[in-house]
Amino acid sequence: MNWTSFLEFTRGPLFYAALLIFIAGMVYRLVRVIALGWARDRVKSRGSKLGGAVRSLLKGFLIWPFIPWVKNTFSRSPLIYVAGGLFHLGLFVVIFLGAAHMLVWKSLLGFGWPTLPLPIVDWLAVVAIAAMIVLFINRLVHPVLKLISGPAEWLNLVFVFLPMISGYILTHHLFFRYETAYSLHMLAVDWLLIWIPLSRISHFMFYFFAKAIHGAQFGKRAVAP
Amino acid sequence: MTTQAPTNGSGRSPTVPALQTFVKETGGWVASQLEACTRCGICAEACHFYQATGNPEYAPVWKIELLRRAYEQRFTIGGRLRLAAGLAKPISDADLAHWSTLVYEACTMCNKCAIACPMGIQIGPLIHEVRSAMSEAGVVPPELMAAVNKQMAEGSPLGMTDSVWDSRLEWVADEWEEEIPRDVQGADTLVVFSSIEVMKFPGNVAAIAKIMNAAGEKWTVSSEAREIVNFGFYEGNEHRTVEILKRVFDGAVALGVKRIVVTECGHAYDALRWTAANLMDVPVGIEVTHIAGVLGDFVRQGRIKLKAGAFDNDGVITFHDACKIQRRGGHINEPREILKILAPNAFKEMSPNREQAICCCGGGVIAIKEADPQRYAVFQMKVDQARKVGAQTVTMTCSNCRLQFTDGVAHFGLDLKVTGLAQMVADALVE
Repeated sequence: MNWTSFLEFTRGPLFYAALLIFIAGMVYRLVRVIALGWARDRVKSRGSKLGGAVRSLLKGFLIWPFIPWVKNTFSRSPLIYVAGGLFHLGLFVVIFLGAAHMLVWKSLLGFGWPTLPLPIVDWLAVVAIAAMIVLFINRLVHPVLKLISGPAEWLNLVFVFLPMISGYILTHHLFFRYETAYSLHMLAVDWLLIWIPLSRISHFMFYFFAKAIHGAQFGKRAVAP
Repeated sequence: MTTQAPTNGSGRSPTVPALQTFVKETGGWVASQLEACTRCGICAEACHFYQATGNPEYAPVWKIELLRRAYEQRFTIGGRLRLAAGLAKPISDADLAHWSTLVYEACTMCNKCAIACPMGIQIGPLIHEVRSAMSEAGVVPPELMAAVNKQMAEGSPLGMTDSVWDSRLEWVADEWEEEIPRDVQGADTLVVFSSIEVMKFPGNVAAIAKIMNAAGEKWTVSSEAREIVNFGFYEGNEHRTVEILKRVFDGAVALGVKRIVVTECGHAYDALRWTAANLMDVPVGIEVTHIAGVLGDFVRQGRIKLKAGAFDNDGVITFHDACKIQRRGGHINEPREILKILAPNAFKEMSPNREQAICCCGGGVIAIKEADPQRYAVFQMKVDQARKVGAQTVTMTCSNCRLQFTDGVAHFGLDLKVTGLAQMVADALVE
């Protein structure tokens, strides 16, 4: 099998299989957690639980360091905060606003959207990759992170890093032939899709649960979430 | 730490099933939050125990490690596979003993970590789940267990028995010349004090009595429901929590009151106001509120009048936010409204404050001697905050915090006056 046909395999059957595993896995995780049951909260509220939940979810977007309620957390963990924030920003921009990725979405969903110019996306990709390296090193040296990191945490970082670095190599035609770089990128993406339901990278789904619970708990007590 | 790991003969640790039970009982609420954790470590820097000592084991995420392990090994495919393959560590008896010290001696349930968490995970309540498992497994610090048992047997962890209660209340009424209505059938409001106030801050009892009388409130205390402290809740034992709650509710029902006013105890307010209805059938039509909220209502409604600026000439006054009355209780604005009347110029806020405030480290930990080093280390941070605003007086709405402040100020030989908001209000009442 040559690289061309391997590429066909990784962006074709393997990609769709991985995508299916990803969707099925995430649905399973979601159903599993929901099916554990939710006790009704019979405590009388002082404030609005719904209002708190909405505020909490909205606040999730307002995470800039200069915002009063963020300042305190930010100033105590600036490195995790900035590197973590830039990593997520870069990741979202590349996945959703990069032209090549938008075309993938278009082929899957049937519709597309405007994208950002390549230089901007490119720089954010570099920022995200750099942020990951910083987070990796920080996890190696920070006493708390060393304590709470098991094999899964290290693997998560590696498995997210591979699609990003291979994507960068592909975009800039570095080191490898186009088909080779493309195949490696697709292989990394396919593996990540399979890995996500098995790992904590799935936090993006449970984020909304935790944020809403947080808001409800604070809103119930009439405290700003 | 003298806690012994429990054995139940089978050689199998009882906490594994205990933790599983709690995940199962609390269901999606606990599971979805455990699933959301990315192990980023930001919560560490929110924890006053970690801030004060730098001990990585005090990171809130690490304190719920056993709950996470139990959840993953029982409820997730990956966790089961890892356990079967020997890649995951099952929970051992040594783990239990170790985590018992972490969750009881290095956590005040202040839930500041929930505010710092980018996911908003309620780490405090999750640590409460771990305590519940510890309690189930019988791995509770002996000193705390002794206090719990004392409350179950005598009604109060501070030994406030029938006769002590009687003589103490009579003495307070005499000494401060304040009428304290006792066991009045058909009163509107039942005020339940904590034994900390009755035994250690009797002035607070007198102050609250004075305020209630001045407001013309039809109130009473009950000799049946006389202790608001809930050490069962502090321990994390559901059965004992409910039994203690029942004593208060039964007393309230017997007197036919419309509302219960919790005075100054954090765990008690959390248990009675925010937890009781989910653990038991609470009597219908009885409102539960906190004295901080009542003071605010009295002032807003003009039922009591305060001398404006009464405390403006005694140097800077600052307000300490109690974790369970303010951040987890919601009475953040009332004390400030009152202080702006009593000391419009002298009142200065510490930083951070309100829901972001750091806990003083009273919060239950004060009951366990082994926790003294970290308790004083944390208190030092609180003192530094008060010093930064040049405070000469610090006031608060929680007698457990006040116990911590009084003890800490004596321990470090500080020149800082510690008082309670109710006492300030009582002193500034205009007849």
